[in-house]
Amino acid sequence: MTNRPIVGMGAVAATGRGVGELFDALCRGTSGRAGLRGFDRSRFRAQHAYEVDDRPVTGRDIPGRATRLLLDAVGQAAADAGLGEDLGGIPVLVGTGLRELRSLELWWRDGSPFADSGLHFGTGLRERFNADVTHTFSNACSASLYALALASDLLDQEGEGAPDTVIVAGVDVLTESMYGLLERVHPEPPDRVRPFDRNRTGVLMGDGAAAVVLRRTDDGSRRVHGRLRGVAVNCDAYHVTAPSPDGIAQAMRAAHRIAGVKPADIDLVMLHGTGTLLNDEAEAAALRDVLGEDASAPLMTAVKSMTGHTSGASGLINLIIGVRALQEGRVPPTVGLDDPVDEAAPFRFVTGEAATGRELNVAQLNAFGFGGINAVALVEGTR
Amino acid sequence: MTDATADTAVVVSGAAVLLPGADTVRALADGPAPGGAPVEPADHVGRKGLRYKDRATQLGYALTAAALRDAGLLGEDGMTVPAETTGIVASSNFGNLDTVVRALDTIREETVTATSPMDLPNASSNVIASSAAIRYGLRGPNLMVCNGETSGLDAVHWAATMIAAGRAERFLVLGVEPDNAVVRRLLGGRRAVDGGAALVLEARTAATARSATVRAVLGPYRRAADEPRETAGHWALPAHLGSASGAYGVLQVAAAVGWFDAGRREPVRAVAGGADHDAGAGLLLLAPEAARAAETPEAAEAA
Repeated sequence: MTNRPIVGMGAVAATGRGVGELFDALCRGTSGRAGLRGFDRSRFRAQHAYEVDDRPVTGRDIPGRATRLLLDAVGQAAADAGLGEDLGGIPVLVGTGLRELRSLELWWRDGSPFADSGLHFGTGLRERFNADVTHTFSNACSASLYALALASDLLDQEGEGAPDTVIVAGVDVLTESMYGLLERVHPEPPDRVRPFDRNRTGVLMGDGAAAVVLRRTDDGSRRVHGRLRGVAVNCDAYHVTAPSPDGIAQAMRAAHRIAGVKPADIDLVMLHGTGTLLNDEAEAAALRDVLGEDASAPLMTAVKSMTGHTSGASGLINLIIGVRALQEGRVPPTVGLDDPVDEAAPFRFVTGEAATGRELNVAQLNAFGFGGINAVALVEGTR
Repeated sequence: MTDATADTAVVVSGAAVLLPGADTVRALADGPAPGGAPVEPADHVGRKGLRYKDRATQLGYALTAAALRDAGLLGEDGMTVPAETTGIVASSNFGNLDTVVRALDTIREETVTATSPMDLPNASSNVIASSAAIRYGLRGPNLMVCNGETSGLDAVHWAATMIAAGRAERFLVLGVEPDNAVVRRLLGGRRAVDGGAALVLEARTAATARSATVRAVLGPYRRAADEPRETAGHWALPAHLGSASGAYGVLQVAAAVGWFDAGRREPVRAVAGGADHDAGAGLLLLAPEAARAAETPEAAEAA
């Protein structure tokens, strides 16, 4: 069983910057949905997304936004953990779906400066934080929880040179290619993200970044936000875009085994919940299979209803919101969920207002990506 | 919990190379000759399933099949070990750039309606790793490393880390870079290797249990800000093949296997990145008979 203290957290998304601001906004049911800000809207059928509003001029995109959001989140988490601005020698593991491909797009079409070293995040992390042990993993929408699994493995190592501290981060911003292709596969262009609702129309992307600082042991000098109990990763090797309920269920069972928890121990599930036609059903079917008679016990919520799908960042945003929910006994609602699909009928979704005054100890976090790459984590609160 | 007598070594039990001018680890180690023909994936894995796949994914299929066969893991009826025991770590920096710019060009010039839905999974950079897993039924952890110049050695490191953590008994490690118009523009007119290498990394205990041939033993890996030390006899990709980028580290390990296969016994140090990049990485490779990777004098010195 893993038990690694989480001693620093940082986040930025369309709904807010900073963990406290983001969490409070989500608990109020505030959505980051807005008209497309960085693209020529005449090229798309879908017209909305969940972007961080940081461009100097609306409608004109600028390069380097993914790196900037990442550095913001890592800086917040490092400061929260008391690490300061020099991260030399501390492993920084970054999960992302789309790297700096938006900057590549702007270079290709508009001629903005770009080099191959700008595709990954090592250069930006080195310049800002003197970080030299940096890793960029492009693992689609499960990327930041995959990075969390690798961080956990590093902290499990023994012997000289094994790290005491690892920073895990996730980041993504909209690319025109992915935004366009995601709407292309839906008969009706998606209008908003409505996870698990019978009348949902698909997924819309969001910008976001999140970071956490994990420690090998609790040295007593820092406030511990929560504890990582375990992460499982697998590949269902089934289909490039269609998820496999069996593969997802196997990842959930493995996570429970690693974390030493039973379905009855789980108080909260932070769902992947993309609002995509196939994905929500697969996630719900897997959860019902794994939780069995306890399927109606934990509270469940899907914050992509307010952040949009932040791709590689979404798993870690789920973790940070989940940890705060355990700390405060408060759970953000799933906005726009009015009529759940049959597969999710038994679940105790938080809808309407945030759930408050709850005694919550253990949260499950889900993240699933293209290619059937699944990651499931368990965290414990320190309330 | 730690057993002082446990064999924790991670070994190379299979390797494959596909580059213009080299299709074996021995040919790679000797230095591929100029003028080699481009790799044709269909010649290695047939045409079925290649349509709608980008060049990097097609090359990845061919390399995956060759390395799994070399390790005795892929037979006529598929994998010879349970699907969950084998994962994939792939390394590529330029994979899927062609898909991204093609979709972008179509959107800008015609609108999104003219794009192909078949491009959707290929617009996600992990398509190389996940496609290989789907084609060959590998259900262990599946990781795509896009980490710049050190990426290939980093991929080897993460496979070894996950083996040590017990996430899978073995990993297919794939390093591949395609050559195309967007890559050449990004590289200022230079070409990329348009090929790569694949390895099977395995816990030595797992390799021994299935009577696999050990081809090399992994020594310590190090990643830091300083420039890697290149040593005499260090293997390097011939300049005529272009930039190996994310494939480079995997190619170096494959070349080391080629040298060990040919009888060379001294350790080989693979290095990537350095002062011109955000960091450097180094990895020591030891001959198959190295008893315990962490206990050799060379390994201690390199660490």
